[in-house]
Amino acid sequence: MSETVVELSNVWKVFGDRADETIAETIQRPLSKQEALDEFGTVIGVRDASFDVKRGEIFCIMGLSGSGKSTLVRHVNRLIEPSAGSIRVLGQDVSAMNKTELREMRARDIGMVFQHMALMPHRSVRENVAYPLEIRKIPKSKRWAISDYALGLVDLTGYEDRLPRELSGGMQQRVGIARALASDPEILLMDEPFSALDPLIRLQLQDQFKALVRDLNKSTLFITHDLDEAIRIGHRIAIMKDGVIVQIGTPEEIVTQPADDYVREFVQGISRLKLVRAHTIMEPLGGANTKDLANAVRVDGQKDLDFLIDISIGSEDPLVVTENGKEVGLISKTTLLRGIQGGK
Amino acid sequence: MSTKAETTELDQKAASTGSVQDIEVDRKALDASIAEFVDRNPEFYARTFQTIHDTTSGIPRVFNIAAALLGPLWAAARGVWGFFWGFLILEIIAWVQIGRGTWGELGASDLAQAERQTNRAEQFLEEARLVKEAGEDPTRFETLSNNLMRAAERSREAAEAAAADSFAILMVGLGLLVVLRIFQGVWSNVTYEKQYTKWRISPQSVSSGFQTQNIIFGVILVLVIMPLTVYRFTIDNVPDWLAVFPANPDHYGLTARWLEGAIDNAAKGGAGAFDSVVIAVRQILDTLSLALIGTPWPVVMAVICVFAWRAAGPRVAIFTASALAYIALLGYWEIAMETVSLVGAAVVLCVVFGIPLGIWFGKSQRAYKFAEPVLDLMQTLPAFVYLIPIIAFFGTGNPPGILATIIFGMPPVIRLTALGMRGVPESIKEAAVAFGASRSQLLKDVEIPLALPSIMTGVNQTILMCLSMVVIISLIGGGGLGKVILEALQFAAKGPGLLGGFAILFVAMVIDRIVQGAFRRADQK
Repeated sequence: MSETVVELSNVWKVFGDRADETIAETIQRPLSKQEALDEFGTVIGVRDASFDVKRGEIFCIMGLSGSGKSTLVRHVNRLIEPSAGSIRVLGQDVSAMNKTELREMRARDIGMVFQHMALMPHRSVRENVAYPLEIRKIPKSKRWAISDYALGLVDLTGYEDRLPRELSGGMQQRVGIARALASDPEILLMDEPFSALDPLIRLQLQDQFKALVRDLNKSTLFITHDLDEAIRIGHRIAIMKDGVIVQIGTPEEIVTQPADDYVREFVQGISRLKLVRAHTIMEPLGGANTKDLANAVRVDGQKDLDFLIDISIGSEDPLVVTENGKEVGLISKTTLLRGIQGGK
Repeated sequence: MSTKAETTELDQKAASTGSVQDIEVDRKALDASIAEFVDRNPEFYARTFQTIHDTTSGIPRVFNIAAALLGPLWAAARGVWGFFWGFLILEIIAWVQIGRGTWGELGASDLAQAERQTNRAEQFLEEARLVKEAGEDPTRFETLSNNLMRAAERSREAAEAAAADSFAILMVGLGLLVVLRIFQGVWSNVTYEKQYTKWRISPQSVSSGFQTQNIIFGVILVLVIMPLTVYRFTIDNVPDWLAVFPANPDHYGLTARWLEGAIDNAAKGGAGAFDSVVIAVRQILDTLSLALIGTPWPVVMAVICVFAWRAAGPRVAIFTASALAYIALLGYWEIAMETVSLVGAAVVLCVVFGIPLGIWFGKSQRAYKFAEPVLDLMQTLPAFVYLIPIIAFFGTGNPPGILATIIFGMPPVIRLTALGMRGVPESIKEAAVAFGASRSQLLKDVEIPLALPSIMTGVNQTILMCLSMVVIISLIGGGGLGKVILEALQFAAKGPGLLGGFAILFVAMVIDRIVQGAFRRADQK
């Protein structure tokens, strides 16, 4: 979990001829997007973004449309050239690669899934999934075997010889995921893959995807404009606004400690029950005596509020929170209710 | 509880504002905007526009005295140019009538004729006198003279009648003018209000206000157009320079000679290149015609029919067989096959050069911008015009004919290939690149397959264009069915012309049906 597979540091993307001037100026005094457009005729897409993705992690980038998240993720496989900054994938500097190396990295190490599926309408489902392998000149028999296996992973066995247009939206996107998995890449780039689907299908695919990535141990960069989705599937979340990464953290950190008003506004509507854990809301024991609480229920610090409510209903005493077997805190009914409210 | 409170609030709101019908427009803002638009005389136009706005049916009861008095000049001053031109032309008609009625020499031609007839009659009388002196019978001359005298009298009467008509013509002209002016007085406000509405949408592009330059421009236009036109139509003997453009024939001769020399020199200079083009085209043509004419006719017919069946189904195959039977029975077989090989050679060359060009233009916006006017020119130039340089550079016969056909037939395949290339969704291209596709892989696996329907439409259109052009090239010595038609045309031979015409029609229909059928099948796959 600790090995870094993707690392972006101080990445800038400014569209327009006078990109370098804009960056130099913006470092000195923070220009707004409009000011940059007025003064230099440039459009700032990404501003000084840094983050890393660990092996096996699902790293979500969440932002509204126009926040630069799609632009940012396209730097990883250099579909977009950065204006400044460095990008390393599996230890290699992406900016330094020549065309052949870059194509090879795209085909071997990175699978990408797009919001609008981007399947080739004239090819069958199988041939679509096999396309990344075809580019790598893998023989047809092998290609077919692998693509059938990948389609099996997303429960699409039996649809191999159909054309994409014969499939529903959700199924088409599963073909897209199978295509991204076909060349067994280390890294998956998901560009709002589920945004165009209806809510029920989206939930199903989110769960399916999360399980799949865990089983196959892929590292994922997941773009979404939906905070619920980010919290549901992300191990860590980066929140973007106007090309800037405002905050990076685990879902719980984002919800309990929003970095600014912008993030706070976002997390207001998020249910805390499954996110906030016992050790976040407990009152520290601080050496107080727990002897008279010998009969009280012990709960692990990692349990979420949902679980605590169930336990608390069946017990009069406050709950004792333990971590690694040690008693570390107390949660009374009041504490619990305040915790659900969000700490007033 | 809260619902109830809301309801009362709503009721109060409704009570205070009343129904939708009672809402009044903000007159102050509207009048200010109208004042900004009209510049001069804002009160009048604010009032007028309000009347127009309030009129729901029929003609609004508004009258613009300035427009009625000044006519088109009012329109010019206000920048209502459509109104200006329309009424200027109508007023010219009125003014020409007025001019004819007042100073026009009505019956002048009749008077002149009477004059001539009288003179001639006097000559005859003189002759009669001479004949009489010579002692012969003068009756014949006297009769002639009398007849002419009577004719002259009739002409003079006609002239008087025409002159008497002048008053009526003057009255018609004046009446027309008055009617036009009244019409302008009413219509001007309505038109001006429409211009105001347009001006609200785009103040930059719609002219507004009362501008001196517009007035000057309008006065100049009226002064140039009105008097000259009225003069031309009311005076019989206008000076030559006004009736005919004073062109200098030397200019024409010099330019034509210079151009001829330039083309001759260019043709001589590039003779080698032009000849090799002709040889290459002839090679393709000869191969095709050898295949179509050299092969025994039953084989060719059978192959065409089977191909039609496979490509477009049984109905087209039956039609093809009947069309071929018509052509063969009338003895057109060989000549029709020559037409097919001409079209075939032209289409092959169009496709070979057109599709790569189309792909290039589809990918490079800049190249397309340069190519577009050339493509337009290729399609708009009448075929007769570029037949001449083709003769100059490539001579006459079938290969130059094919080159002319290519000029006419290539634009559709280029255009539609470029269109198809640009229509390939960016997202699919991006996906292919993201999976490591190179430029050539992208072209082969994504762009061409996705652009294929458009490319096929282009090829089909090119085939049809070539078919229509292949008749015209008979003018520069091209063979085939076109030659049959041309010969029939030269001798006005109706029978052969129609038979040959139907033969061409059938060739065209067979090719079109087969190609469309084949493409439709490919599309469905």
